[in-house]
Amino acid sequence: MHPAMSDQTHDPNRTADVLIIGAGASGGAAAAWLSEAGFDVVCLEQGHWQDAATYPTADADYEFKQMSSWSYNPNVRKLPEDYPVNTSDSPINPVMFNGVGGSTIMWAAHTPRFHPSDFRVKTLDGVADDWPISYQDIEPWYDLNDGIMGCAGIAGDPANPPRSPRPMPPIPIGHDGEMIAAAFERLGWHWWPSDNYVNSVRFGEGRDACNFCGHNLMGCYQRAKSSTDLNYWPRAINHGAELRTGCRVSEITTDSSGRATGARYFDSEGNTQHQSARSVIMASNGVGTPRLLLMSKSDAHPNGLANGSRLVGKNLMFHAFAIVAGVFPEHKEPWVGPLANIIQSQEFYETDPNNDFSRGYTFQMNRGQGPGWTARGGFSDRVPWGKDHHSVMDQRFRNTVGFGIIGDDLPEEHNTVTLDPNLKDSSGLPSPKINYALSDNSRRMMIHAIDKGTEVLKEAGATEVTVDPLMRESGWHLLGTARMGNDPERSVVDANGQSHEVDNLFIIDGSVFVTGAAVNPTPTIQALALRTADYIVNQRQDLKG
Amino acid sequence: MTFNPDINLIAAAMDRIIPPMGDLEGAGGLGLAPEVIERSKTDDRFWLALQTVYASLNAPGNFGMLDGEQQDAALSAIESETPDAFGFWLDVVYTVYYMQPRVHQRLGWHGRTPQPDGNQMPPWNESVLANIRTRAPFWKQV
Repeated sequence: MHPAMSDQTHDPNRTADVLIIGAGASGGAAAAWLSEAGFDVVCLEQGHWQDAATYPTADADYEFKQMSSWSYNPNVRKLPEDYPVNTSDSPINPVMFNGVGGSTIMWAAHTPRFHPSDFRVKTLDGVADDWPISYQDIEPWYDLNDGIMGCAGIAGDPANPPRSPRPMPPIPIGHDGEMIAAAFERLGWHWWPSDNYVNSVRFGEGRDACNFCGHNLMGCYQRAKSSTDLNYWPRAINHGAELRTGCRVSEITTDSSGRATGARYFDSEGNTQHQSARSVIMASNGVGTPRLLLMSKSDAHPNGLANGSRLVGKNLMFHAFAIVAGVFPEHKEPWVGPLANIIQSQEFYETDPNNDFSRGYTFQMNRGQGPGWTARGGFSDRVPWGKDHHSVMDQRFRNTVGFGIIGDDLPEEHNTVTLDPNLKDSSGLPSPKINYALSDNSRRMMIHAIDKGTEVLKEAGATEVTVDPLMRESGWHLLGTARMGNDPERSVVDANGQSHEVDNLFIIDGSVFVTGAAVNPTPTIQALALRTADYIVNQRQDLKG
Repeated sequence: MTFNPDINLIAAAMDRIIPPMGDLEGAGGLGLAPEVIERSKTDDRFWLALQTVYASLNAPGNFGMLDGEQQDAALSAIESETPDAFGFWLDVVYTVYYMQPRVHQRLGWHGRTPQPDGNQMPPWNESVLANIRTRAPFWKQV
């Protein structure tokens, strides 16, 4: 049992100040900030606490678990707390984890920030929309979050605005990282050590430094990789927040005027309960949040809660994600070191008028994993069976490093999360249906990115380059489905994350993103969550009982 | 209906999938067919895939009586006709094979689980930033 685990008792007479739906990256941050400010916080989480000692990376069959019970695709994992997602009309599968810590249990913890230009793409490039806030508005919250989650890195990156000293020195980049960095330099291209929420030294209570096992997507046995069950949630619970696990919300309830009154949910025994609250915060990710809002129809909200704009569930962004991998003539031992916490290049991040696309992308250097992972495809296609199997495996397993390429995937209204009319979860609730198509802009961008990625790998000495132009299992970043903005007809929440229509409903997960930028989004999600929580603390004392 | 596949038939197919290498037997010769079957039972995708592939292996013409080239042709036909099932089956065969210590030895890999020991890396060396630090900031001012 986790030492910070709170009681899980339902008191039908209790009205919480704030009810948070989801205990992941954003829910944990908001719960800590609000409970420390004296708000009475209850959180409902459909998953459970995780015990790092049971993560599968110490099991002999960890590579089998990686493709079954510890897959990051909920449709494969099929735990009782997972809900199925209909992906038949999407080339990308959304991937996530349901539990305390949410997807920070299974993330790489690569933590770059948005650039200032990402908040002004309409003004600068004439595409999508500007955000109602600026980089400067959330910079203090980035810094705060870096300190709590624990950021290893080094200031001075010329591709980004100056930032405060990192709490920990960078994770070592290894000989393979130095090789790729040197290739970038010979081409005159940018590179910099990644910011990561992975301990390079002991940091945080009971958390060791990374021991470079290379498998942090399967949960971190060392507790070196940060996740909100290790930092924000213990803080929140120590300040009185109640985290109720195994609780699946079926509806955000409202009164006759349309204000939120709490949530109806199935408890861990399957009984229907209702938690009353003076306000509700949605923190269920860019698929779960629109799903739940669309499930919460009422006379006051006939299109779903907070959906007068009819934009709930629209503008889904995943990030275009390609893999380019180089096979080198000498051994690189790519299983030594974190998978994707090495170096990045943002040489092609900003819009270049010489290109045939807007915005840009980030190269994120990746290493390989175990032999089973390599044989099953790893960075590219499966190693062939038959007479060539061993020779191809020998080429790839010890000798391959490459890049994940994250492209800015601009919002389009036809990319949606809706309620599937047929598919249900284990509680009988409608499952989400994804409709998604990669835009022409993203396609042209990724062609450019793959070409440049190939160039740098060959410069580094790769004798063969393999490409996955659109990785199917890459929907880690679930964004845009309840966007923020100043215009209630063009957005779901305002600049503070407060619903335009329901003044005691807030959204703090990736749903509120106006654009996705070309970086991993979690630091931005958490910074926005802290900013919204601080708004409630300072401007919405009326929500306190 | 109970599915009780012929282990020898599956092993013969596995030997064509991952053939012997030097003094190391193929995936079938290593005796891994029972584990492939047991692992497949834990996941509907894999269990259905095994049954699909097996139904083709067990069709008239008896896979076990074919020579090596004919067996490869038969497997290619199954792959072509049922690519998803064949792929899932391959994933299980590959994963079980690469869990074996003798296979790790052949690969020249330590074979340890990722945890608890992890790996050793040379420490962070800030001198690698000497060149890139000379580059002027180029982020777009807004």
